[in-house]
Amino acid sequence: MGDPSSVATFQFGGLTFNAANIYSGLIAFVLVFLFVFALSRHITMKPGKGQNILEWLIDFTNGILKGSIPGNETGAFGLYGFTLFLFLFISNQLGLFLQIAVGGKDFVRSPTSDPIVTMTFSLATLMIAQFAGVTKYGWKKHFSGYLQPFVFWLPISIFEEFTNFLTLGLRIFGVIFSGEMLLKIIGGLAFSHGIATMIVAIPLELVWQGFSAFLGAIQAYVFVTLSAVYISKKTEIGD
Amino acid sequence: MFSHLAVASSLAIGDMLFYAICFIILMWLIKIVAWKPINKMMQDRADKISDDIDSAEKSRDDAAKLAKQRQDALANSRHEATSIVDSAKKQGQQQRDGILADAQTDAQSLKDNAKKDIEQERQDALASVRNDVADLSIEIASKIIQKELSADDQKALIDSYIEGLGK
Repeated sequence: MGDPSSVATFQFGGLTFNAANIYSGLIAFVLVFLFVFALSRHITMKPGKGQNILEWLIDFTNGILKGSIPGNETGAFGLYGFTLFLFLFISNQLGLFLQIAVGGKDFVRSPTSDPIVTMTFSLATLMIAQFAGVTKYGWKKHFSGYLQPFVFWLPISIFEEFTNFLTLGLRIFGVIFSGEMLLKIIGGLAFSHGIATMIVAIPLELVWQGFSAFLGAIQAYVFVTLSAVYISKKTEIGD
Repeated sequence: MFSHLAVASSLAIGDMLFYAICFIILMWLIKIVAWKPINKMMQDRADKISDDIDSAEKSRDDAAKLAKQRQDALANSRHEATSIVDSAKKQGQQQRDGILADAQTDAQSLKDNAKKDIEQERQDALASVRNDVADLSIEIASKIIQKELSADDQKALIDSYIEGLGK
């Protein structure tokens, strides 16, 4: 893993696709949907177990957004934040218990351990931020925000957008990628010298898996929080 | 690492498109399946709770009003009962006074009648005694003195005696 030759690729419609990303992405999407679908079956005034979990999750992600975005503007981004959080969370955890490699090529792993995937979401967040800024203030006022505090700040503003995009995507990628890398190394260690190394490696693997699960949750939270921060920055330049 | 990024960038468009489209579809599905109904239910619940609070306030006011009415009615009936008892007492007093007065006048009239009767009796008795004494004394005198004495004279004589007795 990490080695480009370890992923199977295929061509479709003139585009190159990474098989591991497609499969694991599909699994994550389906898992998220099934999770939400299963919990939202019997929606009643008096919430049942599933509905309680779902309502708590919605409150949680709305709370993240409300922490950064002032007023009632969170409503528009609530669904994005909710879906993003669930998808990133499940993606981060996916590779911890399910990694399938066939013939030295990965097929299922954490989708977020590929920078392309995480950058897709960071790009989506920044596009939403731009869009929100334009809809709230109009083209002129929105882009005049790049000239604040003075005109020559423009290169720095543009560079800031670019670094925001990179750091938002690469942060989660780095954490998940390194976590899975270490899991694989410990796994390789376990099978290297028979029983003796296995006994040493299994507790290590357990500890690292637990830590990675924690990191995966934190990273999903951080990603949504930073998304909210970037969106709020674009929707309150006037203030 | 960098080679990975470099190769990945050549793969980028397909995967990015795939993830973007899938993510939009997922968002749409979640919106239909969970987001809208749950938000609607949460809104409904919030409305219901505020309604319940309002209606609870209203029923509390109603209860207070009812309690006040009851209190008033109770005080009213107590007052009424007091007045009834008072009037009954007054009536009883009046009746008693009336009965007493009647009894007094009755007793007085009885006493007067009795006095009158006694007086009458006495007069009668005196009169008959007078006559008897007169007759007896005439008889005795006629027997004693064998002298015819006129009854009227005798009577006048006796009367003067009786008068002397009466004084």
